[in-house]
Amino acid sequence: MVFSSIEFLLCFLPLFLLLYAVTPRYMKNAILLAGSLVFYAFGDPGHLWMLIVSVAVNYFLGLHLARGARLKGKDKKQKKKKLEYKRKILLATAIAGNIGVLAIFKSGIMAGGLPLGISYYTFRILSYLIDVYKGEETKETSFLRLATYIAMFPQLLSGPIASYGEVREELYEREFSARNIQNGLKIFTAGLVFKVLLADRLGLLWREVQVTGFESISTPLAWLAAAAYSMKLYFDFYGYSLMAVGLGQMLGFSLPSNFKNPYMAGSVRHFYRRWHITLGRWFSRYVYIPLGGNRKGEWRTLFNLLCVWLLTALWHGNTLNFLIWGMMLWALIVMERQMERLGAGKLFSHGPLKVFPHLYLWFVIPISWMCFAITDLPQLMTYLGRMFGVVEGIRVSTGDWKKALMNYGALFAVGGFACTPALQKLFRRFKDSLPGMLLLIALFWLCVWRLQVEGQNPFMYLSF
Amino acid sequence: MIFWTAAGIVYLSAVDDWQVYAKPLEQVKSWYEDIRQDFRQAGNVRAEGTLWRTVSGEEGITVSGAEGEVSSVPEGPFLPRAGGETSPVEEGSSLPGAGGETSPVTEGSSLPGAGGETSPVTEGSSLPGAGGEASPVEEGSSLPGAEGAASSVPEDNPASSAGFPDGGGPAGTSPETSEAAGEAAYHTVEDDYFADAVFIGDSRTVGMYEYGGLEETADFYASTGLTIYKMFDSEIVTVEGQRKKISVEQALTRKSYAKIYLMIGINEMGTGTVESFAAAYKEAVDHLLELQPDAILYIQGIIKVSTERSEQGDYINNEGIEARNEALSQLADNERVFYLDVNPVICDESGGLEPSYTFDGVHLKAQYIDLWKTYLKEHAVIYESN
Repeated sequence: MVFSSIEFLLCFLPLFLLLYAVTPRYMKNAILLAGSLVFYAFGDPGHLWMLIVSVAVNYFLGLHLARGARLKGKDKKQKKKKLEYKRKILLATAIAGNIGVLAIFKSGIMAGGLPLGISYYTFRILSYLIDVYKGEETKETSFLRLATYIAMFPQLLSGPIASYGEVREELYEREFSARNIQNGLKIFTAGLVFKVLLADRLGLLWREVQVTGFESISTPLAWLAAAAYSMKLYFDFYGYSLMAVGLGQMLGFSLPSNFKNPYMAGSVRHFYRRWHITLGRWFSRYVYIPLGGNRKGEWRTLFNLLCVWLLTALWHGNTLNFLIWGMMLWALIVMERQMERLGAGKLFSHGPLKVFPHLYLWFVIPISWMCFAITDLPQLMTYLGRMFGVVEGIRVSTGDWKKALMNYGALFAVGGFACTPALQKLFRRFKDSLPGMLLLIALFWLCVWRLQVEGQNPFMYLSF
Repeated sequence: MIFWTAAGIVYLSAVDDWQVYAKPLEQVKSWYEDIRQDFRQAGNVRAEGTLWRTVSGEEGITVSGAEGEVSSVPEGPFLPRAGGETSPVEEGSSLPGAGGETSPVTEGSSLPGAGGETSPVTEGSSLPGAGGEASPVEEGSSLPGAEGAASSVPEDNPASSAGFPDGGGPAGTSPETSEAAGEAAYHTVEDDYFADAVFIGDSRTVGMYEYGGLEETADFYASTGLTIYKMFDSEIVTVEGQRKKISVEQALTRKSYAKIYLMIGINEMGTGTVESFAAAYKEAVDHLLELQPDAILYIQGIIKVSTERSEQGDYINNEGIEARNEALSQLADNERVFYLDVNPVICDESGGLEPSYTFDGVHLKAQYIDLWKTYLKEHAVIYESN
């Protein structure tokens, strides 16, 4: 069940909120966990047991990893050494086990498809285990609390990957109030609007291009479609993350935000500090920094970055195109670092030259997203070839991009505006005023209506 | 919050009529009925006191009759009532399982669109299944479609044997041609043949317009989502020097054509039956001939979808398309109205659109539109109007 579905919006959410509201304080975690399992079962009943087993096993692993607080007696040092050794082995096993399961499913060896949300809950579990091992986080003795952290439905399927420390306090004590619900609902609506009114509709241009076939699109259309896909991906994921944050707030959690206007960045490096922030943070915390980060010289830094991007690529998928995507980004980041060392940063930080970093980003990111989107390699080559006019087109209709601009121009404009911080400012400024609220309410029900019409007739947009 | 809920209530009452909740409620109700039923049966069995009946009781349909008989025999007061109540419910629940039970609910309660859509599909796919399904398959396998029809022409009309692509063996005439009044004489022509032609249709024809290379030659009255029902009233034709588009009806009264190509029908798959669709189509054909008295009309069989798309489980499936195409082929008289079916050229051996020719399973990729166009050029009728 996705957030932007009628079942969720009109059945699950109201019903759950009602139950949650009448549940006494000390039972709220239990009802949240139960609701989350139901939520999961709606999406992927076949793999529900995996989630449960995974949580249970890791709960005990966490308990064991935290051992070693009390040490007494003569051979304290020896004992401590032994214990440390044990804990290290245990951590290695735990990581290998969790990653192993994830890898088996990602590589497609197991039939039956990827269990829903496994990439995300595995990462949450790992962050908890590692934090406990390092002593940065105390172990969670309550199974219920740990399970709620890992499986709570707002962040269960696609993040944000909140670390245990971020939600720990709220798992013990959180505020459930009308004000929180209202604020959460506002954020949720913003996300829903991004998803239903922007992402889904921008996605249609990308789909049209796929239907036409990459061999037969003009070069301008190839760029337009790449831009449309870039925006669609952003609003899809940003919308989802906003909905998750909004839901979290309704229940009394403050989940971390996942996006900070990434398309307004001036370099690939900054882009990925603003795009899917919680994932980037995860890799930085548990891969990049343990490897030494940037403290061991330039060559070592580049190697560490390579590791991060290889893993990031693998995490997204096991086909070759993701590897190309990751390596391209790594190469760009390496290049940016060298430019920076040569002093290019200062050059482009003042005056009219400031626009160049943005142009550069808007040039390379759509290309990288095409590598991300097109899993079939020959097709990817065709597409990139068409973008640069290298591959000869077959039966190209030369005016196709004008038609696309006519149909999607307005959407592009709105989408472009929504990529800037201006929209967020407007949202913050007006979300509590009466007209703002009325607008949000109207938008919410407009989205519901859209979803319903599409649900009854999937060809509302895609009629033939 | 209050506003929110209020707006929701207004919305649900006005737009949706609370159907979101009605359906699950009906579902739950039917589950409840089932369970109550089971309990009652279990009660009966216990009253009987024999074990073997419990075993058979779980098997379902056969028992209901047997049990009615058994229970009516021994005990007095409440058993007949139970038996009487059993049978109607049993009927409902045993027939096509849960699916059969829910769909009438949808139909009955509201959603004229969705409800109407679900039921006819079953009809559409199952009705002609016996007859209609078999014959097109035979056609496809025994001879390469209309090429077979074409190759039969020389027998009657040696003059027209000129530019045949042949390759289709001297196989027999296809069923629909032999049934029809005369047999069509197809020629191979060049692009200029389409100079006095108009293509009317849905997104498939839009594809032909955009990527067929005929946009300068022929006229296209095509729009995504066009259906036979609304064809004439759809305002989709641009006129030079005019912003507002005019309807197909108006356009056809303003300009006359010698050939009309019709490719329409995929969007109608979800509505009506084969018969009602064919009737609407026939009406449209008659009206077209009326509006364009000098034109010949090519009815193009609906392009099929890929087998993968067909098996997705909605009303867009190849069995349905075949059934409707079969009905369309009957509309040809081979004097002014001809039936062309491009499917054999672009379908694989499973009978669906060749997967490499399409992304979405419904539309030909731009570069393969040529296959269709070539087919049309090889199946042209030279018609001399008086």
